Amino acid sequence: MGPGWVLGRWAGRLLVAGLVAFMTFPTLVVFVASFNDTAILSFPPQGYSLRWYANALTYPQFQRAAVNSLLVTLATAALALPLGIASVLALERGRLRGRAFWAAVLLSPLIIPGVVAGLGLLILGAAIGLLQSRWPLIFAHVVLVLPFVIRSLWVSLANLDPNLERAAASLGAGPWRVFWRITLPLLRPGLFAALLFAVIISLNEFVVSLFISTRVTEILPVAMFTYVVNYTDPTIAALSALFILGTFVIVYLADHVLDMSAVFQIAHGRDRERA
Amino acid sequence: MARDATEILKEPPATGRAEGGGPRVPALCLLPGLLAMAVFALALGALFQYSLLEFIPGSLRTGGVTTGNFRQVVAPQYLRAIWDTIALSLATTVLTLLASYPVAYALARGRSPVLRSLLLVLTLAPFFTGAIVRTYAWILVLGNAGFINSLLLKAGLLETPYQMIFTTQGVLVGLVHFSMPVMILILAAGISHIDPTYERAAVSLGANPVRTFLRVTLPLSMPGVISGFVVVFAWTFSAFPTPELLGGGRVKMIANVVKDLALDSFNWPGSAAFAVVALAVTFVLVAVVARSVERLGRHA
Amino acid sequence: MRSHTIRSLILAVLLAWAPGALAAEPLVVSTWGGNWKDTIERVIAKPFTQKTGIPVEFEVGGTLDRLTKARVTKASPLVDVTFTTTHVGRLYISDGLFQKLDMAKIPNAKEIFKEALRSDHHVGVWAYVYTIVYRTDLIKDEITKWADLWDPRFARKIGLPDFDPSHIITVSAVLEGGNEKDWEKGQERLKRLKPNVAAFFSTDARSQDLMKTGEAPVQVMLSVNAFHLQELGLPVKLVSPTDVGGIVGIDTIGIMAGTKKAEAAHKFIDFALSREVQEQLVLSFKAGPVHAKAAVPEKLRGQPGVFTTAQEWKEKAYILVDEVRAKNLPAWKEWFNANVVAK
Repeated sequence: MGPGWVLGRWAGRLLVAGLVAFMTFPTLVVFVASFNDTAILSFPPQGYSLRWYANALTYPQFQRAAVNSLLVTLATAALALPLGIASVLALERGRLRGRAFWAAVLLSPLIIPGVVAGLGLLILGAAIGLLQSRWPLIFAHVVLVLPFVIRSLWVSLANLDPNLERAAASLGAGPWRVFWRITLPLLRPGLFAALLFAVIISLNEFVVSLFISTRVTEILPVAMFTYVVNYTDPTIAALSALFILGTFVIVYLADHVLDMSAVFQIAHGRDRERA
Repeated sequence: MARDATEILKEPPATGRAEGGGPRVPALCLLPGLLAMAVFALALGALFQYSLLEFIPGSLRTGGVTTGNFRQVVAPQYLRAIWDTIALSLATTVLTLLASYPVAYALARGRSPVLRSLLLVLTLAPFFTGAIVRTYAWILVLGNAGFINSLLLKAGLLETPYQMIFTTQGVLVGLVHFSMPVMILILAAGISHIDPTYERAAVSLGANPVRTFLRVTLPLSMPGVISGFVVVFAWTFSAFPTPELLGGGRVKMIANVVKDLALDSFNWPGSAAFAVVALAVTFVLVAVVARSVERLGRHA
Repeated sequence: MRSHTIRSLILAVLLAWAPGALAAEPLVVSTWGGNWKDTIERVIAKPFTQKTGIPVEFEVGGTLDRLTKARVTKASPLVDVTFTTTHVGRLYISDGLFQKLDMAKIPNAKEIFKEALRSDHHVGVWAYVYTIVYRTDLIKDEITKWADLWDPRFARKIGLPDFDPSHIITVSAVLEGGNEKDWEKGQERLKRLKPNVAAFFSTDARSQDLMKTGEAPVQVMLSVNAFHLQELGLPVKLVSPTDVGGIVGIDTIGIMAGTKKAEAAHKFIDFALSREVQEQLVLSFKAGPVHAKAAVPEKLRGQPGVFTTAQEWKEKAYILVDEVRAKNLPAWKEWFNANVVAK
């Protein structure tokens, strides 16, 4: 290994560090700004205070939106997971013609641009007169997270050893019992990943929600957008900081509970050699 | 064969045991999911219908059937939005690719598990933080009273703020930043599936690291590169919050025009026509590139 | 444990059914965000709640997206009282979104200028103008009339709003012997203004920025914003143009059709039109009062947009016909974007 080689390695490391800094740097600015003690931003801040955190947590529309976000996300997860499980089981194990076609249908929301889905649901929702309730919102979120749920579960189901289920069945367990006692527990990694996707995507969904939510149903990202457009004070910086912190905790925990590399299909050379 | 996140876009993970694995399940289980998709399709149908109805200014009522909305799409100022969208999407995708590859490489091939884990968390956290939070962060950085301008003004390097926000370049920075995590994840998945023995073989045959990278690693990672290209291009093509907040009404992409027409001008038919065009372009795009990925995948 | 989780999930789904169930029963007021909402809250809503015991809640958003939301939720409105511009108020009325006001329940309406009584469905609360505003330190030549904007001395100096070009379109038409109805007459003249335009703005904040940095030291600007810049110490002057009056804007309030709180809504409007509140609004917004007897601070009297006598309303204000403006706005925006904004 010549000196050029070593130099190259360090240049590479520096480059990666720079790029990661580019990705992280705005987040740091958000944190700094959130402690600014005046309504008008200045860097570095002239003084520090927690008043924007207080403002973010007491602003009525944020409180309402936080409750909405929670309810919509819970309902989305509660509906999308069973829906995803049923779909994946049918796709993988059903006597089905045109399997690929049906799969493509269920995964299609992925390539529908947000504004297209949003406007379509707005027109439909206005025609039915349902926009006062949260249901259009929940429906939209279910449809949007379903591809991710299906994908996560499918990988898990495809890797599942069917002999265990066959064994249980041969011991006299009925199909439901096999499903509850064997299949579902074995799908746990996939279920965790699916739940993670459903929760995170639903919590952050913005474009479609902007079109079909109203003052009483709007979720946090929409309320934050409205605030950003109308105010320049650092309240959103405080709220963002809380959001980012929450996300970090979820990602960190998720990385411990389930191997995130595996969720994103990143194999590591050494792990593979061992396998 | 390398499987990565983009396959979500085209085909199911065919296992080859569809008929043999586990207990049989009634195909009827597919019904609830398909029902949801049917309602969703109904919404898209309503959109198509509106795109062919006449707009009556100042109201939400619509007139008779017309193709006028599509002719309006090619009016100069809208054509410009389409052109800007294509140009911005291309620039974003290329820049994102360049900026993401080194990080993805480090993520897939880094030696230290701790650093790899840190990289993954630093990549995933923004991926999981919503568009509003991330775009707002750039307002703080690029704004006229933002981080960069404040520091330069204080240092005496500028006399008046340098306009970065509400410019095409500002939007571009935001879009690249927004797309990097997903690009990194896709590329890392691709790179990690390259068998390292190829690279070792090249090195043992006397190739230097640069040559090894250019002749072995890069070509073998092409499927991932192309997948990343499609996903980020399609994603940027329908970007909304970034141009909306960082463009300040001066930089408009297709999605912003759709929203303006729908929510600010009540022109649902015109907006629907625009949305249909966006949908068509997205479909064509995904189809074309998915096919080329497939062809490349067969060569690799 | 598991059944508990499932039960709470079911509960969450049930709760999602009834979004209103969690909220109390306040009067819901829809208005613009930012400073507008903050001032309305401080000057009107808080004292109103103190006086009547009726709590007030806000919906904030842009003029037009709030109208869109009102339209799609027409069957059962989510809002009781709406603040909007007078011409967009016309669209609320033509869609049946506003109910007819019961003037007997708004005694203060008798005290306001007749120009502010926009219709029997909506009533003005304050007024302002869009007029020429310029930096006296950067522009040495005095500007006295709209026609001056076309002077080659102001090449690349002018800033115009692009979200609502009504003002400059109307002025161009009037200078060519037309008005907002036959606005086409001004098209050629307006195209000739292009070499003088330095920038367009879509928000109040951007307009003020362009003035502060001197990027666009001559602007067709909202009087309220210009007064604000003066308070910050910026040397800007508001012109009372001699050829065409300042283009008046009147913000109005209306009561949503189908609201269950019409009684409280009428009280709210009457309170907003009271002399005390009007005086507070003038101080906060630097806008003109609609109440004929509201006291106006010395330095605002006679300024553009602050009309204090029937005479001033008559002589200095150019009020567009609401219906024409409401109906033409989409076409105006489209024409303006294609022919003036586009390169």
